[in-house]
Amino acid sequence: MNGSRSRSLAGLLIGLGLIAIAAVIAVDAMHMRVPPVHARVGPRVFPLLVSCGLALSGAAIAWQAWTRTFLVEAQDTDWGAVAIIAAGLVLQINLLKPLGFIPAAIILFMAVSFAFGSRRFLRDGVVAVVLASVTYLAFTRLLGLQLPPGVLKGLL
Amino acid sequence: MESFSALMDGFATALTPINLMWSLVGVTLGTLIGILPGIGPALTIALLLPVTRTLDPTGAFIMFAGLYYGAMYGSSTTSILLNTPGESGSIITALEGNQMARRGRGAAALATAAIGSFVAGTVGTLLLSFLAPVFVKLAIMFGPAEYFALMVLAFATVSTLLGASMVRGITSLMIGLAFGLAGTDILTGQPRLVFGIPSMLRGIDTVVVAVGLFAVGEALYMASRRDLREAVILPIQGSLFMTREEWRRSWKPWLRGTLIGFPFGALPAGGTEIPTFLSYYVEKKLAKNPREFGQGAIEGVAGPEAANNAAVAGVLVPLLALGLPTSATAAILLAAFEQYNLQPGPQLFTASGSLVWGLIASLYIGNVMLLVLNLPLAGLWVRLLSIPQPLLYGGILVFSTLGVYSLSNSVFDLVLLFAVGVIGFLMRRYDFPVAPAIIGLILGPMAEAQFRRALTISQGDPSVFVTHPLSLALLVIALLVLLVPAVISLVRARNAAAPLA
Repeated sequence: MNGSRSRSLAGLLIGLGLIAIAAVIAVDAMHMRVPPVHARVGPRVFPLLVSCGLALSGAAIAWQAWTRTFLVEAQDTDWGAVAIIAAGLVLQINLLKPLGFIPAAIILFMAVSFAFGSRRFLRDGVVAVVLASVTYLAFTRLLGLQLPPGVLKGLL
Repeated sequence: MESFSALMDGFATALTPINLMWSLVGVTLGTLIGILPGIGPALTIALLLPVTRTLDPTGAFIMFAGLYYGAMYGSSTTSILLNTPGESGSIITALEGNQMARRGRGAAALATAAIGSFVAGTVGTLLLSFLAPVFVKLAIMFGPAEYFALMVLAFATVSTLLGASMVRGITSLMIGLAFGLAGTDILTGQPRLVFGIPSMLRGIDTVVVAVGLFAVGEALYMASRRDLREAVILPIQGSLFMTREEWRRSWKPWLRGTLIGFPFGALPAGGTEIPTFLSYYVEKKLAKNPREFGQGAIEGVAGPEAANNAAVAGVLVPLLALGLPTSATAAILLAAFEQYNLQPGPQLFTASGSLVWGLIASLYIGNVMLLVLNLPLAGLWVRLLSIPQPLLYGGILVFSTLGVYSLSNSVFDLVLLFAVGVIGFLMRRYDFPVAPAIIGLILGPMAEAQFRRALTISQGDPSVFVTHPLSLALLVIALLVLLVPAVISLVRARNAAAPLA
């Protein structure tokens, strides 16, 4: 690994983030009302152990980041592509019920293929429509699973 | 000999037309996903879980096991022709295999990988048939304290042996354990990490975490790396029939790879990656001409490919006999057992003997199918590699969201999937191994149950874990697994610093 030996801000943030999650778990565990019968081996013990483990790991990572031993491969990051896929997922989550599975899946598919650098919209669109329709029909008709029909309700 | 007659009964189960069909579906799908980068056996089985809920469990497990074997066969093709491994167990195959393909010996590399996988798969399945009952006898001696200690050992090994550093491995494990905490506590009905959201009461489904880490996290990561987008597919050149010389150089690495792979799979050591590295190292040391390594040495393909298939057979031993998963895929298989209300372990062999032995017998048949699928038909499979990446990942994400949504028709699960996907992306980007998180997620709740059961039996006295000899031994080994690498690296650092001082 070609790590750059510099203080890693990302490593520091990851470490602190883990400590924060550990704190949330610990607070949640302390707020449980535990019946006295279960006082010793109740539902609190394990979360507290996990919380300790997370906090220690977080501290170790933060320390490594500070002492320049948290090595991260230098990489050329295309944040735009990440954001487009994330947007595709958020859109799909919000449109699945109102628009239905097929349109939501087409939007997600197009977003992902665009993020991966494809600009052949016609090809991607055809693949997306076929894939979404075939899986919808296979899942609802053959496997008997429920998927939201949405705007295409009357058509399918 | 009792296992021999049980195995014969197993063949009777596995050879029924419907189960032969499931086996064929499994091995075909396995080869397919093994070849496609970005989609592996753990993810595929996770996505199939909602669909297979209504299937007969024997058929479903025959398909899953065939899929696991098939993925190991298929991934070598991608390593050899594309220089990117289809699965992590074939990372090392790319080193020599791709070099062989560049020098016009791609066909021979594919052949030695497929035949080696067949030899290792068959020998491994044979070992599984006769070792599983031995493990079952051992498992009967296990109480809650021993099971807990065994799981601690598994936690220690997976987080130390996988990934770039121990801290990263342990962090990944802890993240998995934290996911496993969410939901209603089984023993007291106490909500944990629910934050007042009703959908959180049933906990975070394994499928959501597995698909989030493997599919969504992987897609986000691959999209973020422009440099990983373009890959060159090499044509298959040469004859698929290996020359006498190639056979002579291959058979010993196959057998050595098998002997290295099987025990590593069976130990709680994290599946297929480590034995392939070890096998490569051994072949390089034993080679008459070590210089050839790195430039297309056939031993470097034959050994590791045998090792990864043997490791898969090895993984099934503790999974079936103890209910202990030692790889991410095995952890998902354990979730599949839970879905059917089956408890792997000694009870499984007595209560569902026909399932277990039918499954094991199907592996012998599946190996033969895989040899046929992967050797003469290699040329057909290769066309899959020409699927453009944008379409491949578009399809993977559509299927991932579909699989997660159909778990319980809940949009909230999709929100969780997105969140876990972002975590998966960060883990990949900063080099945290994903497998410990999956194993922590599945084993965590089980370890907690055994922990509390042991303490209830001892009336709250925590010394049970160290007074039972077996439990103590397992915990000591776990401690050594954690401490020895740290001590070694400390000593190395000292030695490295000494000449300077």
